[in-house]
Amino acid sequence: MKGARRIIKKELARVFKDKKLIFTMFIMPAILMFAIYGLIGKLIASANNDIIEHKSAVTIVNAPEDFKQVIEATGYRLMSDVSYSDEAGYESRKTDIENEVINGQTDLLVCFDKNFEADYKAYEKRGDKIPGINIFYNSTENYSQQAYNVFNRSVITPYRETLQQARLGDLEKLEVFGINEQLLEKESKKDTQFLSMMLPYLLVIMLFSSAMGITVDAIAGEKERGTLSSMLLAPISRSEIVVGKLVSLSISSTLSAFVYCVSMIFAMPMMMQGMGGEVNFSFISVSSALMLLAIILLMNLLFVSLISLLSIVAKDSKTASTLVSPVYIVVVMAGVMTMFSSGAEVATWKYAIPVYGNALVIQQICSGEVVMSGFLASVAGLVVMIAVIIGLTTKAFNSEKIMFNA
Amino acid sequence: MIEIRDLTKIYKLSNKKKAELKTKDSEKVAVSGVSLEAHPGEIYGLLGPNGAGKTTTLRCVATLLKPTKGEISVCGFDTVKEGKQVRDKICFLTNEIKLDPHFSASYMFDFFGGLHNIDEETLAKRKDFFFERFGITDFKDKKIEDLSTGMKQKAAIAVSLVHDPEVIIFDEPTNGLDIITARVVTDFLKELRDSGKTIIVSTHIMSEAQKLCDRIGMIIDGKKVAEGTLSSLLAQENAEDLEDAFFKVYKRVKGEDKIG
Repeated sequence: MKGARRIIKKELARVFKDKKLIFTMFIMPAILMFAIYGLIGKLIASANNDIIEHKSAVTIVNAPEDFKQVIEATGYRLMSDVSYSDEAGYESRKTDIENEVINGQTDLLVCFDKNFEADYKAYEKRGDKIPGINIFYNSTENYSQQAYNVFNRSVITPYRETLQQARLGDLEKLEVFGINEQLLEKESKKDTQFLSMMLPYLLVIMLFSSAMGITVDAIAGEKERGTLSSMLLAPISRSEIVVGKLVSLSISSTLSAFVYCVSMIFAMPMMMQGMGGEVNFSFISVSSALMLLAIILLMNLLFVSLISLLSIVAKDSKTASTLVSPVYIVVVMAGVMTMFSSGAEVATWKYAIPVYGNALVIQQICSGEVVMSGFLASVAGLVVMIAVIIGLTTKAFNSEKIMFNA
Repeated sequence: MIEIRDLTKIYKLSNKKKAELKTKDSEKVAVSGVSLEAHPGEIYGLLGPNGAGKTTTLRCVATLLKPTKGEISVCGFDTVKEGKQVRDKICFLTNEIKLDPHFSASYMFDFFGGLHNIDEETLAKRKDFFFERFGITDFKDKKIEDLSTGMKQKAAIAVSLVHDPEVIIFDEPTNGLDIITARVVTDFLKELRDSGKTIIVSTHIMSEAQKLCDRIGMIIDGKKVAEGTLSSLLAQENAEDLEDAFFKVYKRVKGEDKIG
């Protein structure tokens, strides 16, 4: 395997002595991750801030005097532009005001029943008329939705309590029992939903795209340029060339994917802060990190060997890219399938399905609940698949038809 | 020493190939029953038109293709059973096989030297000698992609000789080269011959074969149809020059009406 070692050295030199490749494989991913996640975080944060800071335009029709007092007392006027209107004024402009809500010029329209106050006071027994408040808002407009939420919380709730207090005296009578909610959750599982949903999918994409970038050129490109044939003339076996190529490509693409991962781990909190959430990386213990590493390395080798096989069968880089694209879609789909899993128990054999099973294991590692049998099945599935593909690749390297179009 | 005995190479044709070649046959006989010997200290030329089977024959000698029938031995090693040993004894040059353009000639020389297990001292000496001989010393650290076509070809020749091979196989040695580089190459082949190497080249250029080759084998439609030294071929065919001799043979094999 001396020949394989020399090929590995040369192939690594090809990557690590080329400034352009170093930039595109190892520096650009980091910049991209920080730029994308930072930008998303910033955009979400500024969108949220904008909604919160927006002064809602609220029109209140037939507002009773005591309601107006609540508005003043709660300080609601400071956050909203409140305009009052009487029934007559409202009736004449009803359609206009409703259209204004639909078109987003008015955020909230609140209409008290004509005899709201009188009906409230006249209530004596069950069956008597209960006065109503009609609230019009537009859930497709962020400002309107926010205006509705804030109005409900800041004005309606205190107003209801004021009237209830006035009618019943002691409000505690209504509170038949108290509810004491306590969240019991594993510290390791806290805030992991986002990560365990996204990481398998992102990892699969990153590993495949890193492998695709260099493998197609290193195999199909070299075949096209005629430089692979010069290696076939060396006094080494074809399997040594295959091993040399696959190992070196795996090293480079794993490193590239590693840069992606580390950048993502550091950049993701930037996005989550913008969304007002957190990312919990406490699942990273030594054992889970080792398991994750094993899955990543094997998955990478699988992708590199699979792309190599397709690249060697193809007559040039263009054909190779065309062949690899559908595989990429299938691989991404397998990653996506795990995004929406319910967390129900999965049969062990499913873990052995390459990519899908691996994504499941990554998901479990992220949420700190890895099933050992699943992990082992996943590793076994990968090893078998890789062995088969390497066998086929070596066969392809030995084929006159494939190598020399003979 | 190269010994080819009854070499036959048959390609299976895919539907696409059948359409390309406008044939319904599912097989194409590229080389049929060719036997020849090339000895140390001689340049053997395979002369024939395009598609005659020259490249296929040379690729079989270089272990890149396996004969369908027949045997080839290079320096006593069988090309099928002892491919690695054969590859250690030969260098195979063709326009289609190139050096990795991302590396320098110097790096590629060291890389292939390593694959041939050449010790560092010998490697350094050979590199100095060949790079000087081909005038690439000043460009040895430049990436191959930045070299001129002629310089690329000279670098490829230098690198292919890294293991001091006993047998040199050259498919169309001057194809695509300017006249100066072509002269450098043919002169060097003669030098190698004089130092006792076995050289086999393929060509369709009569003047090149006439000047370069000690013995010539004419190949038409995959079959060896004539063989001998230049003078014996001329005498045999009662011809003035090699081109004349070749066309006489060609007419005989293909029939008068097939030319022109």
